[in-house]
Amino acid sequence: MKYEMFDAKKIIGDVTLAEADVNSSLVVVSTDSAPRTGMGDFIRKYPGRYYEVGIMEQGAIGVSVGLATTGKVPVFCAPAPFVTARPFEMFKIDVGYMHQNVKAIGRNCGFNYSDLGPTHYGLEDMALVRLIPDVVVLAPIDASQLKGAMRAMLRYDGPVYLRIGTGPIPKIFEKAEFEIGKGSVVREGKDVAIITTGEISVNVFAAAEKLASEGIDAMVIAMPTVVPLDEAIIEKAAKATGKIVVVEEHYVVGGLGSAVCETCARLAPVPVRRLGVPQTYLSAGPYEDLVKCCGLDTDGIAGSVREFIR
Amino acid sequence: MKMDKEKEIKLSAAKCRQNILRMIKANGSGHLGPAYSCIDIVAALYFYGMHVDPAAPNQKDRDIFLLSAGHKGMAQYAALAEAGFFDKSILDTFGQFKCRVPGHPDMHKLPGIEANTGSLGHGLNLACGIALGKRQDGLDSRVFVITGDGELAEGSNWEAAAVAAHYKLDHLTVFVDHNGLQISGNTRDVMSFEPVAAHFAGFGWAVKEIVGNDVGQIMAAIDSLPLEKGKPNLIVANTIKGKGFSKAEGQAGYHYWKPSDEDMALAEKELEDYIAELEK
Repeated sequence: MKYEMFDAKKIIGDVTLAEADVNSSLVVVSTDSAPRTGMGDFIRKYPGRYYEVGIMEQGAIGVSVGLATTGKVPVFCAPAPFVTARPFEMFKIDVGYMHQNVKAIGRNCGFNYSDLGPTHYGLEDMALVRLIPDVVVLAPIDASQLKGAMRAMLRYDGPVYLRIGTGPIPKIFEKAEFEIGKGSVVREGKDVAIITTGEISVNVFAAAEKLASEGIDAMVIAMPTVVPLDEAIIEKAAKATGKIVVVEEHYVVGGLGSAVCETCARLAPVPVRRLGVPQTYLSAGPYEDLVKCCGLDTDGIAGSVREFIR
Repeated sequence: MKMDKEKEIKLSAAKCRQNILRMIKANGSGHLGPAYSCIDIVAALYFYGMHVDPAAPNQKDRDIFLLSAGHKGMAQYAALAEAGFFDKSILDTFGQFKCRVPGHPDMHKLPGIEANTGSLGHGLNLACGIALGKRQDGLDSRVFVITGDGELAEGSNWEAAAVAAHYKLDHLTVFVDHNGLQISGNTRDVMSFEPVAAHFAGFGWAVKEIVGNDVGQIMAAIDSLPLEKGKPNLIVANTIKGKGFSKAEGQAGYHYWKPSDEDMALAEKELEDYIAELEK
């Protein structure tokens, strides 16, 4: 299926600017990263609300949190590993423990920097932030959800981490409405439930159609909020289908797959197959090759589901 | 007049030391050395230098105090209680489960606490963000931070050193509690960041060295702020760890103190004698 494509950075920048127009507390913190994150218009319009700190992520988190204690709503956007793994302890204590209203965006998550290799992959970001109590974790699936998630994040009172790739992003859903903490059934089905998050979901939707043509009826659940998790929809799907597959562009440890397993173990024990990135340092290369290598392409996902439910 | 004020602050610092002993007595142990080391600075800030109001602890234009070296938390609790931010009886819960005075300060538990510190190397970056936010709001709030000298080994401090100078935060003042001791021994031997003042000056800070247990010198340093227009202020406060209890002064072993009844009685007696002398 062909979708209209959008520039994720432009969506991030445009929504930030639109919210800044109506919320004078909104500020942007940058580690030499904002101008390349679509924030150019914001910087030109509100130079006094733009704080560049250079390439220092511990400092950026600390400065953001300091600003937040004075009532500002800081938006800090940089490559996912440098928003989460690098300054993790600042994230844990300053953002989390102090519970400050910081909006952290991990862009170029997953394999987005496929040509650079493991230094720049963001494959553990959800696992890390998920460990920090009371921080919302969002992973929008398409252009509409990104727009809605950005708005919801900037209007939410509390710390939020949003992960996104920054390549062209397809528009799959018509509506940009976004409710934090809610998953949605995108496709009804009875044989298996596939729960998916982030931009890799487009392959899941295609895989479900492929499976349907083979007579396998897969339910598909879009889960753009990883924390707080929509446990009710997982429980319902587990009880209805008895088998769950989780798909994410993230290590199989610690992300949505782990979260779904934890939920099922407690509420509805059923077999769960986690599809994601194996615990290894994958080579750099073309994005499509990396996705295929991990079995996250349409054929790979369809094949895994087929084998799983056999 | 000036002398009267100095005497008054000395008395406040002594009463704060009594509050510190009260907490250690309640818990059976505590970071005596670090708390005593910086308490003269903390007392001078709360009772002389800072614009804060215990009756309105969240007023927007207040001055901000951050204890980056959060393990000196008893020093801040002692001053806040002495200033009337909360009832002194809370000090007696020090160390208890769910108490409002945990070993490291928690901003959600007590008025007057501005950040959750304790993990070293967080305070300066937070302070930069606060100073920027206050400036953006057009407020003339000043931001004061106390760091330890051993704490300067945390690289995050030097990120903040750059930010503060880059943004010309001359309403930000950092006191380095320079007592020369950390858990393993002399700071110079463990990991030297000497000369501290020169390092910060190299980043673009205005610097000054004082005797950090001399209340008169601390007050004079506060009076001279900003040291230089357009530059953040760094005061190297040469202190003595454990200052105020003869057995603990300059002794790394008193960093964390589990006193015998006899030692506690001695520490209390020394303070009582000192206060009696001041009140003569």
